[in-house]
This record gives sequence, C-alpha cells and structure tokens, in this order.
Amino acid sequence: MKTLIVGKIHLLGEKINTDLHCSTKYLPGKDSAYAAKHAFDGVSPGFATSFATGDVIVAGSDFGINSSREQAIQVLRLMGVAAVIAPSFGRQFFRNAINNGLSLVEAPIEGLSQGDEVSLDLQEGQLKVEKKSLVRSFSALPTFAQAILNAGGLIPFLEAHPDWSIH
Amino acid sequence: MGLTLVEKILSSHAGDIPVKAGDMVVANVDFAMMHDARAPNALKMIQKLKASHLPYAKQTALVLDHHSPPQNIEAANAHIAMRAFAKQQGSHLYDTGDGICHQVLPEGGHLSCGDLVVGTDTHSTTYGAFNALGTGVEGTDVAAVLMTGKLWFKVPQSMRIELLAPLPPGVWAKDVTLSLLKRLGAEGANYRSLEYVGEGVSAMGIDERMTLSNHAAELGAKAAILEADEKTLAWLKAHGAREPRVVKADSDAGYVERLSVDSAHLAPQLARGHQIDDVCDVGEMAGQKVDLAFVGTCTNGRLDDIAQVVHILKGRRLASGVRMIVTPASRHIYLEALRLGYVEALTRAGVMVEPAGCGACANITSHVIPGDQQVVISSANRNFKGRLGNPSSPILIGSAATVAAAALTGKVTDPREFFVDRIYA
Ligand code: SF4
Repeated sequence: MKTLIVGKIHLLGEKINTDLHCSTKYLPGKDSAYAAKHAFDGVSPGFATSFATGDVIVAGSDFGINSSREQAIQVLRLMGVAAVIAPSFGRQFFRNAINNGLSLVEAPIEGLSQGDEVSLDLQEGQLKVEKKSLVRSFSALPTFAQAILNAGGLIPFLEAHPDWSIH
Repeated sequence: MGLTLVEKILSSHAGDIPVKAGDMVVANVDFAMMHDARAPNALKMIQKLKASHLPYAKQTALVLDHHSPPQNIEAANAHIAMRAFAKQQGSHLYDTGDGICHQVLPEGGHLSCGDLVVGTDTHSTTYGAFNALGTGVEGTDVAAVLMTGKLWFKVPQSMRIELLAPLPPGVWAKDVTLSLLKRLGAEGANYRSLEYVGEGVSAMGIDERMTLSNHAAELGAKAAILEADEKTLAWLKAHGAREPRVVKADSDAGYVERLSVDSAHLAPQLARGHQIDDVCDVGEMAGQKVDLAFVGTCTNGRLDDIAQVVHILKGRRLASGVRMIVTPASRHIYLEALRLGYVEALTRAGVMVEPAGCGACANITSHVIPGDQQVVISSANRNFKGRLGNPSSPILIGSAATVAAAALTGKVTDPREFFVDRIYA
C-alpha cells in the first residue's frame, strides 16, 4: 500500500456484490484476466475498459456485500484499483481486501463525482478533491492493518513478521 | 461499560486487553476448519507461505462434505489433495459421508465454551450454540492461522434477542429465525454478533440451539453466541470437548439493539420462494400444493429434525406424487437414526434417506433438482432462485415438522395438528 494515493474517481452504485462482478464464480471456464476486463459490466457497461491503473473506485454503501471470495480482490488488483472508497463494506470483502493488499476507505461519498482527482492520505485519514476544495477526514486503519496493506497482504506480512509484531 | 459475549471472547484471546465494538485485534484462534468447496483456495494460499512447517495444522479439520460424493473429476481430485495435506500436516480429516462441517466439528469434540473458532464458511456461526465465537473466513485467513495460530478480527457490535418463553408444541427454533427474518430482513443483523437469551433458549435442546446459531447467518450475523448451561456442559463432555471456559456477558454490556420474541405465541413460519425474508405464518399458505420435500443441511438435518419427520410419517405414506429426501447432517446422526428405527420408518413411508453431506443443499451433487414449476418445501437455509438447480421452481423454507406435514398431505399444512407435546429425538 502506498500511504498517499492520487487517482481518478470511477463511480459505482450501492450494494455491489463483487462475487457477481469480479470473480469467475459465475463465469465457469474463464480466468481472472477475463474477469478483470469485464468487471462491473453488469452494473456499468465498459467500466473496466475506461479504468486506468492507479484509479480509485467510489461506491455506495455495502460495497462487496455477500462477496466471500478473495479472488474478487485479486481481480480488482489486476485492474489496477488503488483504493475503494465507500460508506460501508461487506464484512468478508473487508477482510479479503486487507488480506490481499487492497486499500479501503470507509467514508461518506457526498461530493465525489466521476472523473474527479482524489488524493488519499491513508495514514492520516484524510481525503481531498483539490479542485472542489473538498477535504474530509476518515478513521485511518489501525497500525497493524496498515502494516498488512503496506506489505501487500497478510501472507507477505507474516513472512516478515511471523509473530504479528510490527515493532 | 461491561462487555458482551463476543467482546469477552475476543478480549481473552487477544491477551486480556480491553476491547470494544469497532476495535481491531489480533487474537489466538483455538480451531480452524476448511471444507472442500473452499479448501482448494486455502491450500493455494498456504502454498504461498514459505513455511514448510505449519505448527497449528493439528488444530485444524479438513471436511469433505460439499462435494460428497464427488460429482466430477475436479472435485474428486480436490479430495485427493485435501487427504494428502491432512496426512502430511497432522490435521483432522473428515471424509465423504462423515457429515457436514458444522456438525462434525462439535461432534468431534473440537470446540468448547469460550473458544474462538474460524471456518471457511458463513454458517461457522453454528459454534456459538456452545458458548463459543464461531465465524466465517477465507483461505488467506486459514493460512495465517495454520502458520501462526492467530488472526486479526474487527470486534462486532452485539444485539441481544430474548425469547420470552418456551416454544409451544409444533413450533421450533427454525420458526424463531424465520420470524426474525420477517421482522429484520435478510440483512437485519449484518456484521453483528447476536446473543440469544431467555427461557425460550434454556428450554431448547442442543439441536435447536445449533439451528439458532447457524441460521443467524441468514440474518447477516457474524456470530450468534448463546450462554452455557448444564445441557451445554453435559453435551460437550459427552463429545470429549476440551475443558470449557464459560463466558457470560456483563449485566451492563453495551448492545446496539435489544429485541424480544413472544415465543409462547409463535406460529409455524414459512419463507416463500425466492426470498428467505418473505415470511408468513404457515396457515397463510395452507393448501398450497407441494411436489418435493427435503429435510437436511447444517441448519435442520439433526436428530431432533429427523424425529419430527418420523413422528409425522411413521406408519403412513407420503402423499401420492410427492418425492421426499432426508439427509442426516452427520454419519453419527445417521447411525442414531438407524438405531432408533427412524431410517426404516422413513423408508417404509416412501422417503429416500441418503448419506450425510451438503450435496443436496446447493445443488452440488444435482440429485434433488425439481422439475419445471415444481414446488419444493425444505428445511434448508437458503431459497434464492435456482438454489436447487431449477430457477422456475419456488423453494418454501420451514421446520422439519412443517416439511413432513406437507409431504404427508401433499400440500402446505400446519404441523401443530400433529403435536400435543414438544418432542425430541
Ligand atoms: S449444508 Fe448447505 S449451507 Fe450448510 S455448509 Fe453445507 S452447503 Fe453450506
């Protein structure tokens, strides 16, 4: 995880089930690369095509709800998603994101529009859209969760810190 | 402010540090489970660990229950890999026919009061029936537990649900959950830990308590923990569980919501296809023709459930044209059902009794598929469109007794007419 992220916003709606949109669960015989090219087609046709590495997804509440597969996170990472901002996340999606090195920001999304350039300070818990003079704070993740993200996920984190200690 | 059950268990497993809802903690895990539907991913994650020695693998069970018996080469091969892993690492292995993960874990004595148990499955909430914290995780989580014995958790908020009185005859734990689904909706308890308390819970046996904790997953709950009493302790002892570390919630614990259920006056409930929270009293649908009846799964495939079916069908025949399948939740339950004469009574009544497993629950082994527009009545936990392999077929969900009453008459029937007392296996 980079603690500072600057990227263009791509909007999605409420209660997006990422199993449905970002895994091969419903695409038997297809691989993750295929899933990454067609991610979110069902709710926003062409979404993945206009997405560039380093961009940010901004979505409605309960993003990733009822999504239990970590493969969905791997697909989001293949797409180059730098972070997802939403008012709330599905529980297992939240776990899987941290475990697989995808940064999440739990914050209200009012005022964030398609195409805005947003900058995120994950350590300080601050979100900015400079051209709109919008500044919003959010609660940063605890240090160990940030360390997991910094390491790129739980498995690389444990290789470096097999006792979970970060000091 | 005092602590809820989930806060107490997470606090004690995180080194007795103070915790409150919303905190993130790293906690010691007592036991982990992976089943054959998710183990291939977990084993992939475990392979990414450079560690060749997994010190906590012995506190893990691998369960071959979803693809049981395996329906294709891929599933059979996944089983080969799981057996080899268990043998190499010294993990417990439950093979095909042994039963559904959430049943074999407690039966195998793998969990006790106060424990923290994770499994690669949403219904891992079941372990809450034993005053333990059971919750669902994914492959990377299991890999971390096998390597370090620990995992991170976000402490959930708690919701207290009091069942004011014992349930009347013909009404079961299943009906309680269905009534809550009607009240709260399918996501009504999202990410929360439920605590079921009250006389209604004390009166229940372990089988029904397991239904309460298990079925909390449909409410969106992360856990559903019950208090322990003599029944809990006796059951655990009989199954060789570790010494219990009973936990009690503090009287001033903080709950986001408190509810009570007027359980003495609850009627049998039925969820209509295709939504688990579209629930009505059975009476409202009385007379609806049914074609296929199913009793089984980790929610309602236990001995008490089978006893309800036997009570209604013994010495009788299924309605003409109705097909019925009963799947005990474990080999142990199957053997008990044999010993008690249940299997013979059901077989004579026209029921097909099959070996323990998940196969029928989510159309994994494809042998309970309804025909076009056929109406299914089932004691399972989910009824979304196509769950049993035919989207044109609605699935009604009710207690085992409700399912059996419909199978006997060929139409939705209030099961209370068959019960003067509450019966147990
Ligand atoms: S019985 Fe059904 S719900 Fe329960 S673990 Fe098996 S597949 Fe899942």
